[in-house]
Amino acid sequence: MSDINKNKFVFVSDREKEHDEARKSLTYWADAFRRLRKSKPAMFGLAGVILVVLFGLIGPLFTNVSYSDQENDHRNLAPRLAIYEIEEGVFVHLSGDYNMFIVPEDGNLQVLEVYEEEEELEGRSDVGEMLSPSEMRKQREEEAAKVENVNLIKYMYGEEFIELDYSFKLERDEKGHDFDFAITYKGNTVNYPAKTVANKLYPFGTDSLGRDLLTRVMFGARISLLVAAAATLVNFLIGVVYGAIAGYKGGRTDNIMMRIVDVINSVPLVLIIILLMVMFEAGLGTIILAIGLVYWVNMARLVRGQMLSLKEQEFVLAARALGVRSRKIITRHLIPNAMGPIIVSMTMMIPSAIFTESFLSFIGLGVSAPMASWGTLANNALSGLLTYPYQLMFPAGAIAITMLAFNFLGDGLRDALDPRLRKG
Amino acid sequence: MAKYFIKRFVVAIITILIIATLTFVMMHSIPGGPFTREKALPEAQIQILEEKYHLDDPLIKQYGDYMAGLFRLDLGPSFVKIGVEVNELIALGIPPTAKIGLFALILIVILGIPFGIISALKQNKPIDYIVMFMATLGVTIPSFVVATLIIFVFAGGVPALNWLPTFGLTSPLGYIGPVLALAGYSLSFVTRLTRSSMLEVLRQDYIRTARANGIREYKVMAKHAIKNALIPVITYIGPMIAAIMTGSFVIEKIFHIPGIGGYFIESITNRDYTVIMGITVFYAAFYIIMVLLVDVAYALVDPRIKFTKGKS
Repeated sequence: MSDINKNKFVFVSDREKEHDEARKSLTYWADAFRRLRKSKPAMFGLAGVILVVLFGLIGPLFTNVSYSDQENDHRNLAPRLAIYEIEEGVFVHLSGDYNMFIVPEDGNLQVLEVYEEEEELEGRSDVGEMLSPSEMRKQREEEAAKVENVNLIKYMYGEEFIELDYSFKLERDEKGHDFDFAITYKGNTVNYPAKTVANKLYPFGTDSLGRDLLTRVMFGARISLLVAAAATLVNFLIGVVYGAIAGYKGGRTDNIMMRIVDVINSVPLVLIIILLMVMFEAGLGTIILAIGLVYWVNMARLVRGQMLSLKEQEFVLAARALGVRSRKIITRHLIPNAMGPIIVSMTMMIPSAIFTESFLSFIGLGVSAPMASWGTLANNALSGLLTYPYQLMFPAGAIAITMLAFNFLGDGLRDALDPRLRKG
Repeated sequence: MAKYFIKRFVVAIITILIIATLTFVMMHSIPGGPFTREKALPEAQIQILEEKYHLDDPLIKQYGDYMAGLFRLDLGPSFVKIGVEVNELIALGIPPTAKIGLFALILIVILGIPFGIISALKQNKPIDYIVMFMATLGVTIPSFVVATLIIFVFAGGVPALNWLPTFGLTSPLGYIGPVLALAGYSLSFVTRLTRSSMLEVLRQDYIRTARANGIREYKVMAKHAIKNALIPVITYIGPMIAAIMTGSFVIEKIFHIPGIGGYFIESITNRDYTVIMGITVFYAAFYIIMVLLVDVAYALVDPRIKFTKGKS
């Protein structure tokens, strides 16, 4: 050994060294994650999902009202308030329910008391809410016959009155005014709002019972996400076990089990969910159970298909030859190998569970009041849609954003975890 | 081939019977009878009512009567709407529901497929992005949100765009809102499906061969590409019927259309069990028969379908 001349050896250069170093081999999951990170829509989706989760979980900590707190004077307040300048620097807002508020700089609304002049003001509280023009006209004519100038409300502001004449709104169609109200204070009459300001007290406005919509949408997020997550879990447990057994056992067991799935799947699943919801007492648990108990059929089919191909592979044969029990083969060898498609299917399941839940709430089979999911909020907003559109926009927007986010994430996950399904 | 059809038909009948049995069991396992109200009725009155509707019979006889009625296509009386048969409700509800459903179907076919094809042919061009953006919105936004948005924008919320009536089908314009909202999801889905299947087909060798043979481009498209691209779209017909059916529940509620979906929702709110049962069975039977017809038509049209499907 010692005869070898050391001079014959040359040091490798840094560059060559680098070349020789083995690159760390990527595992399936690392590779999938790398691919997921490269997909822009998927990252947007992920960001959206995280935002919605934070909104629902942490959001309610920052509001000082609960989803069920009602403030009677603050009914139907819009997120943006049109304010009238009745005096230099003094602004008032008139709500859709004809409540008048002083709007100070800091945004704290201060309701003004209505000055009651015996019976004269009776029956005015609900005018202009949900009446058709013809009904409105009729009501107005009846009132006009009774007392002249009944379309007048007096509010007390300090020692003075603010007078509101809303007859212009009622006659708008015929007379062609371009303003709705005349607000008179100390002899000055204002017809047009000076500007619109953000509602600092209720950023999303309030509903018809004076509940803070922001808080309600946040709690709605909690309910929708909880239902989606729990239903997906139920669906996962039943579907994976069922599909794995059917696929692994094969033969007659498989045949019978899959025929049952076929029967369930031969009617629209929503129909079965509705029946289950009618059968049990409506509530949060029922929705989770109903959705989970029905949607598993798709998961079972998917897992069964995976099992059929996986069980033919050598590692299963090896495990069997070593005497591993069926149960252990399924849980330790087969299911982990089918995890990719299962996760994709679960991500896709979440938006459809959110959709189903809001659909059920919308048709009146949802969580019980005063709890409210996004579907309930949308349903409640329906009756006053034309007057208070914001009450619909926020829950509807929340549903749409969440569905979009989960769909994008699911698409990205599918491409990342299951390259065979990738489409051009 | 005949054997396949007969087998499918028998399976369909059995499935309908199973569904009918399941709904019967579910509706009869609800705690409290159909006459349990917030204001309790006197005991004697409940007895008279139960006798009238044969609810005092043993359960097995009730089941027999119900199934016998089903074979005569008689779904029994409503418990809440006195003197109204479930059959009458369904007969009343079919025309409006069928009309908006049919229009939605036509809209899906005449818009969804062309949009998908155009999008595929102009892949990664602005028009593709626009179509795909709309289609993605369409599959993610629930139909009741779309419906309420349509009402808000085109029926009063925006004064300049006040073109449509808020509810009802009395004028032809009244159809626009419900049909659009009902079609929205499936329209978007068909567009996406057509696009991806078209892209797949365009990559096939036979398209290249056809082009290499000097066949004109429009002929390559019409004769070879589009025909083959539409096969996966046909398989979506079943789920599409389901989507339109369940979509009609909320659409009819929002637009106040007196269709079956509306009656169904109403019966759910009223806990009118016979109506819930009857309409469920009707929906299930309708759906199963439609899927059966589609499958049969599919098998007749596409010679590649094998009739040993049951074994796989």
